Amino acid sequence: MPAAVCIEDLTLRYPSGAVAVAGLSLDVRPGEIFGLLGLNGAGKSSLIKAIASLLRPSTGRVRIFGLDTRTHAAAVKQRIGVVPQENNLDAALNVRHNLLFRCRYAGIPGHVASQRVKRWLSLLGLEDKAEESVLHLSGGCKRKVMLAKAFVTEPEILVLDEPSAGLDLGVRELLWEQVRIFRAAGNTVFLSTHYLEEAEALCDRIGILHRGRLVSMLACDQGSSLAPGMAAATFRAVTGQAGMDEAP
Amino acid sequence: MRFVLALLYRNLVVGRASVQLTLIRVVFQPAIYLFVFGHVVGRVIPVSGQNGYGAVIAPGIIAMATVGAPFVTIGGQVLSGYFFRTLEEWLLAPVTLRTVLAAMLLGGVCSGVINSLVVVILAWLILDLTPSDPAFLLLAVVAGAFLFSLVSLVVLLLPQRPDRGREVFSILMMLMTFFGCTFYSYAMLEPPFSYFALLLPTTYISEGLRAAYAPGQPHLDADAALTGLILIAIVLLPCTDWVFRRRLGSFSW
Repeated sequence: MPAAVCIEDLTLRYPSGAVAVAGLSLDVRPGEIFGLLGLNGAGKSSLIKAIASLLRPSTGRVRIFGLDTRTHAAAVKQRIGVVPQENNLDAALNVRHNLLFRCRYAGIPGHVASQRVKRWLSLLGLEDKAEESVLHLSGGCKRKVMLAKAFVTEPEILVLDEPSAGLDLGVRELLWEQVRIFRAAGNTVFLSTHYLEEAEALCDRIGILHRGRLVSMLACDQGSSLAPGMAAATFRAVTGQAGMDEAP
Repeated sequence: MRFVLALLYRNLVVGRASVQLTLIRVVFQPAIYLFVFGHVVGRVIPVSGQNGYGAVIAPGIIAMATVGAPFVTIGGQVLSGYFFRTLEEWLLAPVTLRTVLAAMLLGGVCSGVINSLVVVILAWLILDLTPSDPAFLLLAVVAGAFLFSLVSLVVLLLPQRPDRGREVFSILMMLMTFFGCTFYSYAMLEPPFSYFALLLPTTYISEGLRAAYAPGQPHLDADAALTGLILIAIVLLPCTDWVFRRRLGSFSW
Protein backbone atom coordinates (compact mmCIF):
# COMPACT_ATOMS: atom_id res chain seq x y z
CA MET A 1 0.00 0.00 0.00
CA PRO A 2 1.45 3.41 -0.93
CA ALA A 3 2.21 6.00 1.74
CA ALA A 4 -0.75 8.14 2.73
CA VAL A 5 1.38 11.23 2.17
CA CYS A 6 4.64 10.98 0.24
CA ILE A 7 6.69 14.14 -0.15
CA GLU A 8 9.76 13.93 -2.37
CA ASP A 9 12.43 16.62 -2.41
CA LEU A 10 9.78 19.34 -2.20
CA THR A 11 10.65 22.99 -2.65
CA LEU A 12 8.01 25.71 -2.43
CA ARG A 13 9.06 29.10 -3.71
CA TYR A 14 6.73 32.09 -3.77
CA PRO A 15 6.66 34.58 -6.68
CA SER A 16 8.48 37.04 -4.40
CA GLY A 17 11.39 34.61 -4.36
CA ALA A 18 10.90 33.61 -0.72
CA VAL A 19 11.52 29.92 -0.17
CA ALA A 20 8.96 28.44 2.25
CA VAL A 21 10.05 24.81 2.04
CA ALA A 22 13.41 23.60 0.78
CA GLY A 23 14.16 20.06 -0.40
CA LEU A 24 11.82 18.35 2.05
CA SER A 25 11.20 14.60 1.87
CA LEU A 26 8.79 12.75 4.13
CA ASP A 27 6.48 9.72 4.19
CA VAL A 28 3.38 9.46 6.37
CA ARG A 29 2.02 5.93 6.72
CA PRO A 30 -1.68 5.12 6.41
CA GLY A 31 -3.29 5.18 9.87
CA GLU A 32 -0.58 7.38 11.36
CA ILE A 33 -0.94 10.70 13.16
CA PHE A 34 1.97 12.79 12.02
CA GLY A 35 2.75 16.06 13.76
CA LEU A 36 4.69 18.98 12.36
CA LEU A 37 6.21 21.42 14.81
CA GLY A 38 7.78 24.70 13.89
CA LEU A 39 8.04 28.36 14.70
CA ASN A 40 6.04 31.01 12.86
CA GLY A 41 7.29 31.22 9.29
CA ALA A 42 8.92 27.78 9.42
CA GLY A 43 6.93 26.72 6.34
CA LYS A 44 4.23 24.60 8.03
CA SER A 45 1.24 26.27 6.37
CA SER A 46 2.89 26.30 2.95
CA LEU A 47 3.60 22.58 3.28
CA ILE A 48 -0.03 21.98 4.28
CA LYS A 49 -1.21 23.96 1.24
CA ALA A 50 1.00 21.83 -1.00
CA ILE A 51 -0.48 18.65 0.48
CA ALA A 52 -3.96 20.06 -0.09
CA SER A 53 -3.08 20.80 -3.76
CA LEU A 54 -3.52 24.54 -3.21
CA LEU A 55 0.16 25.34 -3.78
CA ARG A 56 2.01 23.95 -6.77
CA PRO A 57 5.48 22.56 -5.94
CA SER A 58 8.34 24.59 -7.40
CA THR A 59 10.35 21.38 -7.54
CA GLY A 60 9.78 17.88 -6.20
CA ARG A 61 6.36 16.38 -5.71
CA VAL A 62 3.66 15.44 -3.25
CA ARG A 63 1.66 12.24 -3.61
CA ILE A 64 -1.42 11.25 -1.68
CA PHE A 65 -1.99 7.50 -1.73
CA GLY A 66 0.21 7.45 -4.83
CA LEU A 67 -1.67 10.26 -6.60
CA ASP A 68 0.42 13.24 -7.64
CA THR A 69 -1.13 16.51 -6.41
CA ARG A 70 -0.11 18.22 -9.67
CA THR A 71 -1.70 15.79 -12.07
CA HIS A 72 -4.52 14.32 -9.95
CA ALA A 73 -5.54 17.31 -7.83
CA ALA A 74 -9.28 16.54 -7.95
CA ALA A 75 -8.79 12.90 -6.91
CA VAL A 76 -6.41 13.99 -4.15
CA LYS A 77 -8.91 16.51 -2.78
CA GLN A 78 -11.60 13.83 -2.77
CA ARG A 79 -9.54 11.93 -0.21
CA ILE A 80 -8.51 14.70 2.14
CA GLY A 81 -10.23 17.02 4.58
CA VAL A 82 -8.44 20.25 5.38
CA VAL A 83 -8.66 22.70 8.26
CA PRO A 84 -6.62 25.69 7.11
CA GLN A 85 -4.99 28.00 9.60
CA GLU A 86 -7.25 30.88 8.61
CA ASN A 87 -11.02 30.84 8.58
CA ASN A 88 -12.37 30.21 5.07
CA LEU A 89 -16.06 29.95 5.90
CA ASP A 90 -18.51 31.33 3.36
CA ALA A 91 -19.49 34.61 5.00
CA ALA A 92 -22.69 34.86 2.97
CA LEU A 93 -24.07 31.60 4.39
CA ASN A 94 -25.19 30.34 7.78
CA VAL A 95 -23.54 27.50 9.68
CA ARG A 96 -25.78 24.73 8.30
CA HIS A 97 -25.37 25.91 4.72
CA ASN A 98 -21.60 26.12 5.12
CA LEU A 99 -21.53 22.43 6.01
CA LEU A 100 -24.17 21.42 3.47
CA PHE A 101 -22.41 23.17 0.63
CA ARG A 102 -19.10 21.63 1.66
CA CYS A 103 -20.78 18.26 1.07
CA ARG A 104 -22.44 19.40 -2.16
CA TYR A 105 -19.13 20.66 -3.56
CA ALA A 106 -17.69 17.22 -2.81
CA GLY A 107 -20.52 15.57 -4.75
CA ILE A 108 -22.27 14.05 -1.73
CA PRO A 109 -26.01 13.54 -2.39
CA GLY A 110 -28.38 15.88 -0.57
CA HIS A 111 -30.02 13.39 1.80
CA VAL A 112 -26.67 11.93 2.89
CA ALA A 113 -25.27 15.43 3.33
CA SER A 114 -28.20 16.47 5.53
CA GLN A 115 -27.68 13.49 7.84
CA ARG A 116 -23.96 14.10 8.15
CA VAL A 117 -24.45 17.80 8.80
CA LYS A 118 -26.99 17.07 11.51
CA ARG A 119 -24.60 14.61 13.14
CA TRP A 120 -21.65 17.00 13.15
CA LEU A 121 -23.69 19.93 14.37
CA SER A 122 -24.75 17.75 17.27
CA LEU A 123 -21.27 16.34 17.94
CA LEU A 124 -19.70 19.79 18.13
CA GLY A 125 -22.58 21.37 20.03
CA LEU A 126 -23.49 23.70 17.17
CA GLU A 127 -27.19 22.82 16.86
CA ASP A 128 -28.38 26.09 18.35
CA LYS A 129 -26.08 28.05 16.02
CA ALA A 130 -27.09 26.19 12.85
CA GLU A 131 -29.15 29.01 11.36
CA GLU A 132 -26.81 31.80 12.44
CA SER A 133 -24.63 33.62 9.93
CA VAL A 134 -21.01 32.57 10.39
CA LEU A 135 -20.14 36.25 10.57
CA HIS A 136 -21.85 36.45 13.97
CA LEU A 137 -20.05 33.49 15.53
CA SER A 138 -17.30 33.73 18.12
CA GLY A 139 -13.78 32.73 17.07
CA GLY A 140 -14.09 29.38 18.85
CA CYS A 141 -17.40 28.58 17.16
CA LYS A 142 -15.99 29.46 13.74
CA ARG A 143 -13.15 27.05 14.42
CA LYS A 144 -15.65 24.35 15.34
CA VAL A 145 -17.46 24.87 12.03
CA MET A 146 -14.13 24.62 10.23
CA LEU A 147 -13.45 21.32 11.98
CA ALA A 148 -16.93 20.03 11.12
CA LYS A 149 -16.33 20.97 7.48
CA ALA A 150 -13.16 18.89 7.37
CA PHE A 151 -14.81 15.84 8.93
CA VAL A 152 -18.19 16.02 7.22
CA THR A 153 -16.99 14.72 3.84
CA GLU A 154 -15.52 11.65 5.61
CA PRO A 155 -12.03 11.90 4.12
CA GLU A 156 -9.25 9.34 4.47
CA ILE A 157 -6.65 11.93 5.44
CA LEU A 158 -7.24 14.86 7.73
CA VAL A 159 -4.87 17.78 7.24
CA LEU A 160 -5.00 20.15 10.19
CA ASP A 161 -3.14 23.44 10.26
CA GLU A 162 -2.94 24.60 13.86
CA PRO A 163 -6.44 23.37 14.65
CA SER A 164 -6.27 24.25 18.36
CA ALA A 165 -5.46 27.92 17.85
CA GLY A 166 -8.05 29.98 19.68
CA LEU A 167 -9.92 27.01 21.11
CA ASP A 168 -10.83 26.72 24.78
CA LEU A 169 -9.90 23.62 26.75
CA GLY A 170 -13.26 21.88 26.27
CA VAL A 171 -13.28 22.27 22.50
CA ARG A 172 -9.64 21.28 22.27
CA GLU A 173 -10.35 18.04 24.12
CA LEU A 174 -13.31 17.43 21.82
CA LEU A 175 -11.03 17.95 18.82
CA TRP A 176 -8.44 15.53 20.21
CA GLU A 177 -11.14 12.94 20.82
CA GLN A 178 -12.46 13.26 17.27
CA VAL A 179 -8.94 13.00 15.85
CA ARG A 180 -8.35 9.81 17.83
CA ILE A 181 -11.68 8.34 16.69
CA PHE A 182 -10.83 9.27 13.11
CA ARG A 183 -7.48 7.47 13.36
CA ALA A 184 -9.00 4.47 15.13
CA ALA A 185 -11.06 3.97 11.96
CA GLY A 186 -7.80 3.47 10.06
CA ASN A 187 -7.49 7.01 8.74
CA THR A 188 -4.44 9.27 8.62
CA VAL A 189 -3.85 12.67 10.22
CA PHE A 190 -1.30 15.29 9.23
CA LEU A 191 -1.22 17.89 11.96
CA SER A 192 0.70 21.12 12.15
CA THR A 193 0.79 22.73 15.55
CA HIS A 194 2.47 25.28 17.75
CA TYR A 195 1.61 23.34 20.85
CA LEU A 196 4.17 20.81 22.07
CA GLU A 197 1.67 19.28 24.43
CA GLU A 198 -0.77 18.66 21.60
CA ALA A 199 1.89 17.08 19.41
CA GLU A 200 3.14 14.86 22.22
CA ALA A 201 -0.34 13.75 23.23
CA LEU A 202 -1.64 12.93 19.76
CA CYS A 203 1.15 12.08 17.37
CA ASP A 204 2.92 8.86 16.48
CA ARG A 205 5.77 10.82 14.95
CA ILE A 206 6.74 14.45 15.13
CA GLY A 207 8.79 16.29 12.54
CA ILE A 208 10.42 19.58 13.41
CA LEU A 209 10.42 22.09 10.59
CA HIS A 210 12.88 24.95 10.78
CA ARG A 211 13.37 27.53 8.03
CA GLY A 212 11.71 25.27 5.49
CA ARG A 213 13.76 22.21 6.32
CA LEU A 214 12.84 19.09 8.26
CA VAL A 215 15.57 19.17 10.90
CA SER A 216 14.48 16.37 13.22
CA MET A 217 12.09 13.46 13.44
CA LEU A 218 10.85 11.92 16.69
CA ALA A 219 8.99 8.63 16.90
CA CYS A 220 7.16 7.22 19.87
CA ASP A 221 6.98 3.56 20.86
CA GLN A 222 4.21 1.59 19.25
CA GLY A 223 0.92 2.37 20.94
CA SER A 224 2.15 4.97 23.38
CA SER A 225 2.69 8.70 23.22
CA LEU A 226 6.06 10.44 23.28
CA ALA A 227 7.81 10.91 26.60
CA PRO A 228 6.70 14.25 28.11
CA GLY A 229 9.11 17.04 27.26
CA MET A 230 10.99 15.06 24.64
CA ALA A 231 9.66 17.10 21.74
CA ALA A 232 10.31 20.36 23.58
CA ALA A 233 13.89 19.41 24.38
CA THR A 234 14.58 18.28 20.82
CA PHE A 235 12.96 21.41 19.43
CA ARG A 236 15.14 23.65 21.53
CA ALA A 237 18.24 21.70 20.59
CA VAL A 238 17.67 21.81 16.84
CA THR A 239 16.30 25.34 16.45
CA GLY A 240 18.22 27.12 19.16
CA GLN A 241 14.94 28.71 20.30
CA ALA A 242 14.08 28.89 23.98
CA GLY A 243 10.58 27.56 23.53
CA MET A 244 7.24 27.63 21.82
CA ASP A 245 3.72 28.55 22.80
CA GLU A 246 2.18 26.69 25.66
CA ALA A 247 -0.92 24.66 25.01
CA PRO A 248 -4.12 26.64 25.44
CA MET B 1 -21.36 18.94 -12.90
CA ARG B 2 -22.49 18.55 -9.28
CA PHE B 3 -20.05 21.22 -8.21
CA VAL B 4 -21.32 23.59 -10.90
CA LEU B 5 -24.93 23.05 -9.83
CA ALA B 6 -23.97 23.40 -6.17
CA LEU B 7 -22.31 26.74 -6.81
CA LEU B 8 -25.35 27.97 -8.76
CA TYR B 9 -27.58 26.87 -5.90
CA ARG B 10 -25.28 28.65 -3.46
CA ASN B 11 -25.71 31.87 -5.46
CA LEU B 12 -29.47 31.42 -5.25
CA VAL B 13 -29.33 30.93 -1.47
CA VAL B 14 -27.16 34.02 -1.08
CA GLY B 15 -29.51 36.08 -3.29
CA ARG B 16 -32.54 34.84 -1.33
CA ALA B 17 -30.91 35.74 1.97
CA SER B 18 -30.56 39.36 0.82
CA VAL B 19 -33.82 39.50 -1.10
CA GLN B 20 -34.49 43.20 -0.50
CA LEU B 21 -31.12 44.28 -1.86
CA THR B 22 -31.50 41.88 -4.77
CA LEU B 23 -34.93 43.30 -5.63
CA ILE B 24 -33.66 46.86 -5.47
CA ARG B 25 -30.80 46.04 -7.80
CA VAL B 26 -32.68 43.78 -10.20
CA VAL B 27 -36.11 45.45 -10.33
CA PHE B 28 -36.28 48.86 -8.70
CA GLN B 29 -33.14 50.41 -10.20
CA PRO B 30 -33.84 49.54 -13.88
CA ALA B 31 -37.52 50.42 -13.38
CA ILE B 32 -36.51 53.95 -12.36
CA TYR B 33 -34.15 54.23 -15.35
CA LEU B 34 -36.88 53.07 -17.71
CA PHE B 35 -39.48 55.38 -16.22
CA VAL B 36 -37.30 58.49 -16.06
CA PHE B 37 -35.26 58.13 -19.27
CA GLY B 38 -37.75 56.13 -21.32
CA HIS B 39 -41.11 57.49 -20.26
CA VAL B 40 -40.50 61.02 -18.90
CA VAL B 41 -37.42 62.19 -20.85
CA GLY B 42 -38.30 59.98 -23.83
CA ARG B 43 -41.46 61.98 -24.53
CA VAL B 44 -39.54 65.23 -24.92
CA ILE B 45 -36.55 63.97 -26.96
CA PRO B 46 -37.34 63.94 -30.67
CA VAL B 47 -36.25 60.67 -32.28
CA SER B 48 -37.42 59.24 -35.57
CA GLY B 49 -39.43 56.04 -35.28
CA GLN B 50 -42.67 54.89 -33.73
CA ASN B 51 -41.60 54.49 -30.13
CA GLY B 52 -39.34 57.52 -29.82
CA TYR B 53 -36.38 57.68 -27.44
CA GLY B 54 -37.89 54.97 -25.24
CA ALA B 55 -37.13 52.41 -27.95
CA VAL B 56 -33.53 53.68 -28.10
CA ILE B 57 -32.84 53.73 -24.37
CA ALA B 58 -34.67 50.53 -23.32
CA PRO B 59 -32.24 48.15 -25.09
CA GLY B 60 -29.39 50.17 -23.55
CA ILE B 61 -30.84 49.71 -20.07
CA ILE B 62 -31.23 45.98 -20.71
CA ALA B 63 -27.60 45.96 -21.87
CA MET B 64 -26.56 47.60 -18.59
CA ALA B 65 -28.25 44.77 -16.69
CA THR B 66 -26.57 42.24 -18.98
CA VAL B 67 -23.09 43.59 -18.24
CA GLY B 68 -23.60 44.67 -14.62
CA ALA B 69 -25.14 41.49 -13.19
CA PRO B 70 -22.24 39.15 -14.03
CA PHE B 71 -19.89 41.55 -12.31
CA VAL B 72 -22.07 41.68 -9.19
CA THR B 73 -22.14 37.87 -9.02
CA ILE B 74 -18.55 37.13 -9.99
CA GLY B 75 -17.17 40.23 -8.28
CA GLY B 76 -18.97 39.23 -5.08
CA GLN B 77 -17.48 35.75 -5.28
CA VAL B 78 -13.94 36.92 -5.99
CA LEU B 79 -13.94 39.77 -3.47
CA SER B 80 -15.49 37.64 -0.74
CA GLY B 81 -13.04 34.92 -1.80
CA TYR B 82 -10.22 37.37 -1.20
CA PHE B 83 -11.41 39.03 2.00
CA PHE B 84 -13.09 35.99 3.59
CA ARG B 85 -11.03 33.30 1.82
CA THR B 86 -14.18 31.68 0.41
CA LEU B 87 -12.35 30.90 -2.82
CA GLU B 88 -10.04 28.61 -0.86
CA GLU B 89 -13.12 26.58 0.08
CA TRP B 90 -14.02 26.13 -3.59
CA LEU B 91 -10.44 25.36 -4.55
CA LEU B 92 -10.43 22.59 -1.94
CA ALA B 93 -13.43 20.94 -3.62
CA PRO B 94 -12.54 17.73 -5.47
CA VAL B 95 -12.85 19.23 -8.94
CA THR B 96 -10.44 20.65 -11.49
CA LEU B 97 -9.59 24.34 -11.61
CA ARG B 98 -11.42 24.59 -14.94
CA THR B 99 -14.59 23.25 -13.30
CA VAL B 100 -14.40 26.07 -10.73
CA LEU B 101 -13.90 28.51 -13.61
CA ALA B 102 -16.85 27.06 -15.54
CA ALA B 103 -19.07 27.23 -12.44
CA MET B 104 -18.21 30.87 -11.85
CA LEU B 105 -18.76 31.76 -15.51
CA LEU B 106 -22.10 29.96 -15.58
CA GLY B 107 -23.14 31.80 -12.41
CA GLY B 108 -22.29 35.10 -14.10
CA VAL B 109 -24.19 34.18 -17.28
CA CYS B 110 -27.28 33.06 -15.34
CA SER B 111 -27.38 36.24 -13.29
CA GLY B 112 -26.87 38.37 -16.44
CA VAL B 113 -29.66 36.58 -18.31
CA ILE B 114 -32.12 36.65 -15.39
CA ASN B 115 -31.50 40.34 -14.66
CA SER B 116 -31.83 41.22 -18.35
CA LEU B 117 -35.09 39.32 -18.73
CA VAL B 118 -36.48 41.16 -15.70
CA VAL B 119 -35.68 44.45 -17.47
CA VAL B 120 -37.31 43.13 -20.67
CA ILE B 121 -40.51 42.59 -18.66
CA LEU B 122 -40.17 46.04 -17.07
CA ALA B 123 -39.74 47.63 -20.52
CA TRP B 124 -42.96 45.96 -21.60
CA LEU B 125 -44.81 47.11 -18.47
CA ILE B 126 -43.48 50.68 -18.40
CA LEU B 127 -42.90 51.50 -22.07
CA ASP B 128 -45.09 48.91 -23.77
CA LEU B 129 -42.07 47.67 -25.71
CA THR B 130 -41.82 44.06 -26.85
CA PRO B 131 -38.98 42.53 -28.87
CA SER B 132 -39.68 41.73 -32.51
CA ASP B 133 -37.17 38.90 -32.39
CA PRO B 134 -37.13 37.32 -28.89
CA ALA B 135 -34.75 34.55 -29.95
CA PHE B 136 -32.14 37.04 -31.10
CA LEU B 137 -32.67 39.07 -27.92
CA LEU B 138 -31.92 35.97 -25.86
CA LEU B 139 -28.87 35.21 -27.98
CA ALA B 140 -27.50 38.75 -27.54
CA VAL B 141 -28.15 38.65 -23.78
CA VAL B 142 -26.47 35.25 -23.33
CA ALA B 143 -23.47 36.30 -25.43
CA GLY B 144 -23.23 39.63 -23.60
CA ALA B 145 -23.50 38.05 -20.14
CA PHE B 146 -20.87 35.45 -21.06
CA LEU B 147 -18.55 38.12 -22.39
CA PHE B 148 -18.88 40.24 -19.24
CA SER B 149 -18.40 37.22 -17.00
CA LEU B 150 -15.05 36.78 -18.76
CA VAL B 151 -14.27 40.50 -18.46
CA SER B 152 -15.14 40.45 -14.74
CA LEU B 153 -12.79 37.55 -14.01
CA VAL B 154 -9.91 39.01 -16.03
CA VAL B 155 -10.22 42.47 -14.50
CA LEU B 156 -10.52 41.14 -10.94
CA LEU B 157 -7.87 38.45 -11.09
CA LEU B 158 -5.23 40.11 -13.23
CA PRO B 159 -4.02 42.55 -10.52
CA GLN B 160 -2.29 41.20 -7.43
CA ARG B 161 -5.36 42.12 -5.35
CA PRO B 162 -8.95 41.93 -6.63
CA ASP B 163 -10.00 45.12 -4.82
CA ARG B 164 -7.72 46.97 -7.27
CA GLY B 165 -9.52 45.18 -10.09
CA ARG B 166 -12.82 46.46 -8.75
CA GLU B 167 -11.60 50.04 -9.18
CA VAL B 168 -10.47 49.30 -12.73
CA PHE B 169 -13.85 47.75 -13.50
CA SER B 170 -15.68 50.86 -12.22
CA ILE B 171 -13.70 53.01 -14.66
CA LEU B 172 -14.26 50.54 -17.50
CA MET B 173 -17.99 50.44 -16.79
CA MET B 174 -18.23 54.22 -16.84
CA LEU B 175 -16.48 54.35 -20.23
CA MET B 176 -18.51 51.49 -21.65
CA THR B 177 -21.81 52.84 -20.39
CA PHE B 178 -21.39 56.35 -21.70
CA PHE B 179 -19.47 55.60 -24.91
CA GLY B 180 -20.80 52.09 -25.63
CA CYS B 181 -24.12 53.12 -27.16
CA THR B 182 -26.33 52.42 -24.15
CA PHE B 183 -27.94 55.88 -24.00
CA TYR B 184 -27.99 56.38 -27.76
CA SER B 185 -27.82 54.22 -30.85
CA TYR B 186 -24.73 53.70 -32.95
CA ALA B 187 -26.47 55.44 -35.85
CA MET B 188 -26.50 58.68 -33.83
CA LEU B 189 -22.67 58.75 -33.66
CA GLU B 190 -20.32 60.36 -36.12
CA PRO B 191 -16.60 59.72 -36.64
CA PRO B 192 -14.31 59.59 -34.73
CA PHE B 193 -16.70 58.67 -31.87
CA SER B 194 -18.32 55.94 -33.94
CA TYR B 195 -14.91 54.28 -34.41
CA PHE B 196 -14.19 54.46 -30.69
CA ALA B 197 -17.59 52.93 -29.89
CA LEU B 198 -16.71 49.89 -32.00
CA LEU B 199 -13.92 49.10 -29.54
CA LEU B 200 -16.38 48.75 -26.66
CA PRO B 201 -18.25 45.46 -26.14
CA THR B 202 -21.33 47.25 -24.76
CA THR B 203 -21.86 48.72 -28.24
CA TYR B 204 -22.45 45.24 -29.67
CA ILE B 205 -24.78 44.22 -26.85
CA SER B 206 -26.86 47.42 -27.00
CA GLU B 207 -27.04 47.39 -30.78
CA GLY B 208 -27.83 43.67 -30.86
CA LEU B 209 -30.72 44.33 -28.49
CA ARG B 210 -31.89 47.28 -30.63
CA ALA B 211 -31.89 44.97 -33.62
CA ALA B 212 -34.01 42.50 -31.63
CA TYR B 213 -36.47 45.19 -30.55
CA ALA B 214 -36.91 47.30 -33.66
CA PRO B 215 -35.28 45.92 -36.79
CA GLY B 216 -36.74 48.83 -38.78
CA GLN B 217 -34.91 51.49 -36.79
CA PRO B 218 -31.27 52.44 -37.53
CA HIS B 219 -28.72 50.34 -35.64
CA LEU B 220 -25.65 48.20 -36.23
CA ASP B 221 -26.38 45.19 -38.38
CA ALA B 222 -27.59 42.33 -36.12
CA ASP B 223 -25.07 39.86 -37.55
CA ALA B 224 -22.26 42.37 -37.07
CA ALA B 225 -23.28 42.89 -33.43
CA LEU B 226 -23.35 39.17 -32.72
CA THR B 227 -20.10 38.57 -34.59
CA GLY B 228 -18.46 41.35 -32.55
CA LEU B 229 -19.60 39.75 -29.29
CA ILE B 230 -18.46 36.29 -30.30
CA LEU B 231 -15.08 37.50 -31.56
CA ILE B 232 -14.34 39.40 -28.34
CA ALA B 233 -15.40 36.36 -26.30
CA ILE B 234 -13.15 34.09 -28.36
CA VAL B 235 -10.19 36.37 -27.66
CA LEU B 236 -11.05 36.71 -23.95
CA LEU B 237 -11.71 33.05 -23.16
CA PRO B 238 -8.07 31.85 -23.29
CA CYS B 239 -7.01 35.06 -21.49
CA THR B 240 -9.49 34.31 -18.70
CA ASP B 241 -8.32 30.71 -18.47
CA TRP B 242 -4.69 31.86 -18.22
CA VAL B 243 -5.42 34.57 -15.62
CA PHE B 244 -7.54 32.18 -13.57
CA ARG B 245 -4.87 29.45 -13.51
CA ARG B 246 -2.10 31.94 -12.86
CA ARG B 247 -3.86 33.51 -9.86
CA LEU B 248 -5.57 30.46 -8.37
CA GLY B 249 -3.53 27.50 -9.64
CA SER B 250 -1.06 28.20 -6.88
CA PHE B 251 -3.20 29.85 -4.25
CA SER B 252 -1.19 32.28 -2.16
CA TRP B 253 -3.84 34.80 -1.04
